[in-house]
Amino acid sequence: MDRTLISFIQALRNAEVRISPAETLDAFAAANLVGYSQREALKQALWLTLPKTPDEKARFNLCFDRFFDHATLTADQDELDPEPTEHSQEPAGEPPQDARCAQSELGQMLLRGDSAQLSLAMAQAGRDANVSAIALFTQKGLFARRVMDNMGLADLNAEISSLEAEDELSAVQLAQALRGARERLRTQVRDFVEREFLLHADHDGRRLREELLKRIKLSNIDRRNFKHLKTIVMRMAKRLETMATRKRKVFRRGHLHVPRTLRSNMSCDGALFDLHWKSKKIGRPKIFAVCDVSGSVANYARFMLMFLYSLEAVVPRVRAFAFSSHLGEVTGWFEEADLETAIERTLHEYSGGSTDYARALADLHDLCLDEIDHRSTIILLGDARNNYGDPRQGLLQTLYERARRIIWLNPEPRGNWFVGDAEMRSYLPYCHQARVCNSLEHLERLMSDLVKIVR
Amino acid sequence: MTSPAHEGLVHSIEMVVDSLRTQGYVCGEQVGTAVYLAYHLNKPVLVEGPPGVGKTELAKTTAAMFNLPLIRLQCYEGLDEAKAIYEWKYGKQLLYTQVLKETLEDVLQGAKGLADSVRRLHEFGDIFFSEEFLEPRPLLKALQEEQGCVLLIDEVDKSDQEFESLLLELLSDYQISIPEIGTVKARAVLPMVFLTSNNTREISDALKRRCLHLYIPFPDAELENRIVEVRVPDIPPSLRAQLVSFIQALRDMDLKKVPAISETIDWARTLLLLHADRLDDELVQDTLSVVLKFQEDIENVALEVPSLVRRAVPKDQ
Repeated sequence: MDRTLISFIQALRNAEVRISPAETLDAFAAANLVGYSQREALKQALWLTLPKTPDEKARFNLCFDRFFDHATLTADQDELDPEPTEHSQEPAGEPPQDARCAQSELGQMLLRGDSAQLSLAMAQAGRDANVSAIALFTQKGLFARRVMDNMGLADLNAEISSLEAEDELSAVQLAQALRGARERLRTQVRDFVEREFLLHADHDGRRLREELLKRIKLSNIDRRNFKHLKTIVMRMAKRLETMATRKRKVFRRGHLHVPRTLRSNMSCDGALFDLHWKSKKIGRPKIFAVCDVSGSVANYARFMLMFLYSLEAVVPRVRAFAFSSHLGEVTGWFEEADLETAIERTLHEYSGGSTDYARALADLHDLCLDEIDHRSTIILLGDARNNYGDPRQGLLQTLYERARRIIWLNPEPRGNWFVGDAEMRSYLPYCHQARVCNSLEHLERLMSDLVKIVR
Repeated sequence: MTSPAHEGLVHSIEMVVDSLRTQGYVCGEQVGTAVYLAYHLNKPVLVEGPPGVGKTELAKTTAAMFNLPLIRLQCYEGLDEAKAIYEWKYGKQLLYTQVLKETLEDVLQGAKGLADSVRRLHEFGDIFFSEEFLEPRPLLKALQEEQGCVLLIDEVDKSDQEFESLLLELLSDYQISIPEIGTVKARAVLPMVFLTSNNTREISDALKRRCLHLYIPFPDAELENRIVEVRVPDIPPSLRAQLVSFIQALRDMDLKKVPAISETIDWARTLLLLHADRLDDELVQDTLSVVLKFQEDIENVALEVPSLVRRAVPKDQ
């Protein structure tokens, strides 16, 4: 039973329920206390000790039902083992008189139709074949085959072919019966492997896919993966958010506020009981996200906006601008519609036209130069490919002198920054920071820095 | 905290559920299992759930069931060890210092040299930081109870992150370290600890790991019916059923604050006071403010009342 519980915990971990060794020990203590005989009581006890958030509890319920649906058979095996050996002799001893008896072990078991014993054998074979190591759906066939082999398929096949070679009626009948039974067994094994796959592998496969998606260049991701990406972005944002919103007590330190201290201690005859400290007011930061949404970089803009607005709780007051030839503010769209609609609309309205960075910067000046001050962080996303127009870096310089920070994100690798019509060379002196940003991993790193800067 | 006197109460999970019910707390198997495991495994229970589902009540009822004192620590922002664990009795220390000062001459009489005087004074110094001068706060008090007790750390999510770490030693080893004295361990009988949280912020993993985690959701219709039956026994069964199904329907709506069990019970008492025997539109409109706590919610629901009542009241009545 211990092994079953451990493999159940393994399955839970697969389902992203975090369980520490200490909790495993608790689970054992609890399970020993309530006993293994009552399924419902066991479930409650484990429900209390293992999952620790409502979300995890829901996943636990699902996992428990799925796991103990067939694992109970595996579990009872240790206790049941000696019994079936005696038991199996009886029915085998009295076969139907007119038919021949199957010779192979598997054949006997199949013809007896003892489903409990069959499940046991299947679970045992599964354990030998290490089915719980299944990681990808393409392995299903392979593992099904291995389970069948371990159950003694080779003997059965040999028996069927030798029976078919004989002329006797009873032999042919037996062969037919065995053949049918083998097919039924095959479907059962396939189901078994399918369940194991759902339990153990689905998550490994998903994790693999997510790891890949995080690293892949955003422009190469095709549309059907957007859904996955969105969940990944949300999860990353959530993690950053919990990290950033954790309250830290600010300890009293620094300078004594003498006037206020004296004033408030007047009533104590000037004895300083109640000390007041100088405090610093931290202004609310402002973020200006300026995105190039022309064809080549549109996808990056999509994910940066998605990320930025998912972090709403930590980075307040984001103003978003989009441009390809001319620039406009799109903040309002994000306020009135949900994230996806707003992003689609932004891309739709601004993506036409050839990129003109000088015009865009001029437009930004007109729109909100007055509002950019020492609290503002400006994030520029673009490849700086200006179609050989005048870059007018003076415009960026003005912003550079006013803003607290200008971060340029360029989706192209550093080597391409200075070739062709790319104007990074002119703009680079006026950025506090310039970095390559073309995958979710890059974005996540940027955002975690950003969260630190703006607070 | 196994003690022979309680053996009869917590022999099995069903028994726990029954004993809780005799104290007026109706609950499902899950809650029963939590109390049962907490008792036998000496584990603290972290109770989470929406407000008003009876988290605090569970601790109170458990204390009543075991006939143990309930020690309660209400958490809030800024709660520190001086208010939660212990405090020195400064006044008393000051007074004794004064006394010592006056008798200083007698004490030091005959002392040879400075070293000897300092040694003699040192004996007094230790006395000032002994249990005599210690003012125990709830957590320390709970450890000092001879017969054991139920310790309720209420709304632990309202406290600061640092305070959570302070609790870890208590929760895992039932002991508290006081620098001047040493480690205070629980007496023979360990206290039973309940922590409640409304989930206003994420509780740290370290704390969660040390606890059994019980999540109490809103009850289903059947359980809520039984709860109202126990808490408001005089209410006619037909009205009770209508009331519960009305509340259940309210919980499905998009409200700022969904009514909890405590609101259901309040409403049941209100209706009883008004001698109502069935729900109708007017009655509901008039008493809606008992169940809903935001004007916005009341306005939203007011429009839906007729259809909700129609659904809650069976046709034949």
